[in-house]
Amino acid sequence: MTMCSEDCLQKARQKEAAIQRADAIIERIGTTRDKIIPLLQALQEEFSYLPSDVLERVYLLTDIDRAQMMSVATFYSQFRLVPYGRHVIKVCNGTACHVKGADNVYDAFRRELSIEGDSVTTADGRYSVENVGCLGCCALAPAVQIDQKIYGHVQPGRVTEVLAEFEKEQQMTEQAAQQRQNRPPLGEVRLGMENCCQASGTAAIYEEVGRCCRDLDLNVTIKPVSCIGACNQVPMIDVAMPDGAIYRYPNVKVEDVQEILLNHFNTGSAVRRLRNRIFRSLDHLHNDSVWGSDVWKEPAERTRTINNFLTSQERVSTEGYGNMAPLNIEEYISCGGLEALRRALTGMTPGQVISEILDSGLRGRGGGGFPSGRKWSMVAAQENPVKYIICNGDEGDPGAFMDRILLESYPMRVIEGMIIAAYAVGASEGIFYIRAEYPQAVIRTRKALQMYRDMGFLGKGIMGSDFDFDIRVFEGAGAFVCGEETALINSIQGQRGFPSHRPPYPAVSGLHGCPTLINNVETLSQVPYIIRNTASRYAAIGTDSSKGTKVFALVGKVNHGGLIEVPMGTTLNQIIEDIGGGVEGGAALKAVQTGGPSGGCIPASLCDTPVDYEALKGLGAIMGSGGLVVLGEDSCMVDVARYFTTFTSGESCGKCTFCRVGIRRMLDILDRICTGKGKKKDLEDLEYLAESISKSALCGLGKTAPNPVLSTLKYFRDEYLEHFQGICRTGTCKDMVVYQVSQDCVGCTKCAKACPADAIRYTPYERHSIDTEKCTKCGLCIDECSYDAIKKVPIKTALQQ
Amino acid sequence: MNIYIDGIQTKVAPDETILEACRKAGADIPSMCYAAGAEHRPSCMVCMVRNEDSGQMLPSCSTYPTEGMKIDTSSEEVQQTRKLAVELLLSDHRADCEAPCTIACPSGLDIGEMLCQYDKGDFAKAKSILASAFSLTEIPCDSCKGPCEKVCRRGTVDAHVQIKAIVKEIAAMEDIPAEAKPELASKYSKELFSSRLGIFSPAEKARLKESVHSKSTCLHCACLAKDDCRLRDIATSLKIKTPRFGVSSLQPFKAAKHITAQLVYEPSKCIRCGLCVYNTNDGFTFSGRGFGMQVIIPEESYTNVTEDIAALCPTGALSLEH
Repeated sequence: MTMCSEDCLQKARQKEAAIQRADAIIERIGTTRDKIIPLLQALQEEFSYLPSDVLERVYLLTDIDRAQMMSVATFYSQFRLVPYGRHVIKVCNGTACHVKGADNVYDAFRRELSIEGDSVTTADGRYSVENVGCLGCCALAPAVQIDQKIYGHVQPGRVTEVLAEFEKEQQMTEQAAQQRQNRPPLGEVRLGMENCCQASGTAAIYEEVGRCCRDLDLNVTIKPVSCIGACNQVPMIDVAMPDGAIYRYPNVKVEDVQEILLNHFNTGSAVRRLRNRIFRSLDHLHNDSVWGSDVWKEPAERTRTINNFLTSQERVSTEGYGNMAPLNIEEYISCGGLEALRRALTGMTPGQVISEILDSGLRGRGGGGFPSGRKWSMVAAQENPVKYIICNGDEGDPGAFMDRILLESYPMRVIEGMIIAAYAVGASEGIFYIRAEYPQAVIRTRKALQMYRDMGFLGKGIMGSDFDFDIRVFEGAGAFVCGEETALINSIQGQRGFPSHRPPYPAVSGLHGCPTLINNVETLSQVPYIIRNTASRYAAIGTDSSKGTKVFALVGKVNHGGLIEVPMGTTLNQIIEDIGGGVEGGAALKAVQTGGPSGGCIPASLCDTPVDYEALKGLGAIMGSGGLVVLGEDSCMVDVARYFTTFTSGESCGKCTFCRVGIRRMLDILDRICTGKGKKKDLEDLEYLAESISKSALCGLGKTAPNPVLSTLKYFRDEYLEHFQGICRTGTCKDMVVYQVSQDCVGCTKCAKACPADAIRYTPYERHSIDTEKCTKCGLCIDECSYDAIKKVPIKTALQQ
Repeated sequence: MNIYIDGIQTKVAPDETILEACRKAGADIPSMCYAAGAEHRPSCMVCMVRNEDSGQMLPSCSTYPTEGMKIDTSSEEVQQTRKLAVELLLSDHRADCEAPCTIACPSGLDIGEMLCQYDKGDFAKAKSILASAFSLTEIPCDSCKGPCEKVCRRGTVDAHVQIKAIVKEIAAMEDIPAEAKPELASKYSKELFSSRLGIFSPAEKARLKESVHSKSTCLHCACLAKDDCRLRDIATSLKIKTPRFGVSSLQPFKAAKHITAQLVYEPSKCIRCGLCVYNTNDGFTFSGRGFGMQVIIPEESYTNVTEDIAALCPTGALSLEH
């Protein structure tokens, strides 16, 4: 009896405490209806999900009612109404990860953690596993994120290892916390651990640093920091001393770690033999560009590849690549930053700025390619005293991470472009809309904004002019459709991300009914260059209809993937061969997918097409925001079409019939085709649906959603027809193949050991065989086999045998 | 301002939508998510017209005219687009318009409605329905093979409704008056589009077996709004016979809920037009997104809704029990 009341009392106390925490958050964020998204984000961060008790407080204390809450909380994928495990494993399902087998990785995690059925959480509540749109680490595909940590190149066979690594790190974090409590640290070791520069090697370095600190009893704080943009220089560590000095070590090897630590934290130690070498590299650091990609190595070591990778590019948005710190405003200024802003504010009228942009030929980089100058003049022409400018950083395309890098590495430039645009159109408030999956971009942008404010470049009377303007950051909550400008506006206003019918265009009636200029991150990042170097110089880059440069995320089956910037008019072949170093493993190029789910697949035979809005559109693809996914001969084009259709079907907002139901029906048909159940009528229906949806859906995203299907039907129709014959030539469509062991098997037993489903019997020195009933077709055995003896055979052929 | 509707110059007010202007000018444009005087947002895409200059397809209910605009309301392309929109809506509409027994009855008895009244206990009305189809003294059921019982959906769950026995039972109720009225006879016609529910999955059968306990055991397949359904009317006028893309839905079907004493909400019939969402205050709301998007109403919000919302619903998703 007493036990129970004790228990009840404690529960009541806990509930009371939770309510107090919730109330404090509500008071901090605000109580109006448009605050719902930031409010739910803050509450979820506090409680890890949205408990119903807490939501009751929201109804009680704010203007938000149940209808709005249900509508918004269930629309955005970020929000959870049920508790999750303590650690969340996010398996990236972006395009690059998909073509590298992300499905199998997801399955492997579930298998490893014994999660079964509909559940996504382990029985002990330690882990939850989910598929996510795109982590934007396409160069490291397949990528997985556990809590805040990203793991690259996670093949299904590495799942056990990754989990062990994560567990170890958890222990270390706890130990480090304990250590800090005991005595003040000697200094800090920082490692780029957060984003795509956290290549597989950094994890080993991290572990080694921890081990050394324990073994040598060094009280050093080990701090994972974000990507600094030099993906090809990792693993890199910074040693930060209490006096503020920072020593940077690129390309660190595990065996160097101990010496580096001793060099800084154990004075007088006998490691002089290494010192000279270290000082030599330090010279490089302080004399030359800090993040120059090719400065680290001795000239002899520089490979042609790196030279090619860099020299074929041209920098506008990523100007200063290799020698500018993302968050150093002085350095930005010394490199010509803010020169354009000064010129615009002190020497040009808004009209002159607009005509400069018009003359430059700049077109929207978000996908549509609408001339930016015309958009600006439309907003400028509006009489309304209140105008807004929004920077669209809701980069939702799987396989694209340009905006993330621009915001993480060049936030200063984007902000400068935004202030110039605001001045030109007469906007008084600016909003950065940054997608939820990019926490680092949010942090950096906020910091950069604060620096601008501190130095008087934002706020009242910017640079001594009478122009007042400030910018805030709005974090998206996980919805691809919010990249569409009207949906984005609805989202900022605290509603579902439903697009609105245009006209009226946001330029006339946008946020809160006021004229609103919406430009993509990359578009704005090109603006300072134009104003600083004149429109004519900008217009000299590119083709007749497409001016300037374009930033691409070059990913997929390419040797040297990454973020690149090339002048418009460069051909796809040049990009893949000269910059990307050709298709991975020397295989033949099959196609290039551009523009993500709104784009199309361009066959290898047409890859001498220049990158240009019109040229790409003519091929049934689009420039899109700039994802370039290279597909090799082992990619099934029907599967690629199905992949994108699955994506758009899941991301469709649901408002209009064509997108909500139509895309689903396309997916039904593709599912049938990919499982060998296609009917003859299906192809005709698929084509009819695709063409009709592209004509009639309500918004731009719906209209372009059939592009992957239309373009693959156009260029790879024979592959569709083969699927009707029961053949998937690449073996990608699992339901159409069985795994078989060929005569090349020498009986080494590697496959039997690797098989997670016990489908291969352990028969040393004999040809192995696969139990097709048990086989889950995860591909682990194929990866393991050194003799290429395991084949994917069409079911039809297998049956005939 | 002047626009051209199917080539005919027409004077229109700039603040009326193309749909309103075209209807005034006599062009017949179907629509589902639009209701005069109510707040609406374009979603059904059934009211599509084509801008002849740009070739763009536009939802006429939400597009405003511009000077000299040329609107095509009737070309083959426009008709096909509207038809596809309706076909897509129907492919996600897992519901019966008519009760299969009513369709099957060779004598034109509205069996579904009769069973409805029987289960409600309104035997007089049930008997009148019977009397409206045939003479009560010469019941044709005796010589009939009973196709009604063969198609009875309850039959696929456990055992079919004993329709013939119930007909006889009602006919034999001597102290109850019956009045034959032509409007009580089955209005089913082959010309009308009739949505079909399809077959039950094992799980659905189990649920129905557990949950339906009417006196007659009838599942009451017929839609409450079968005579007043814009989806059905439009499908009929577009001469749709069967949905081109089959029928599969994520919505719970036959899961009707009483929101008020008379107002019934059946999610599987909803086309997600949002009229009930936009025209109630903290009442109906959307949940989820994409194909799985639903219209829901939390129980706490039932009291925020009045019965007149049923009149706005273009289908039988929200209807009043009669």
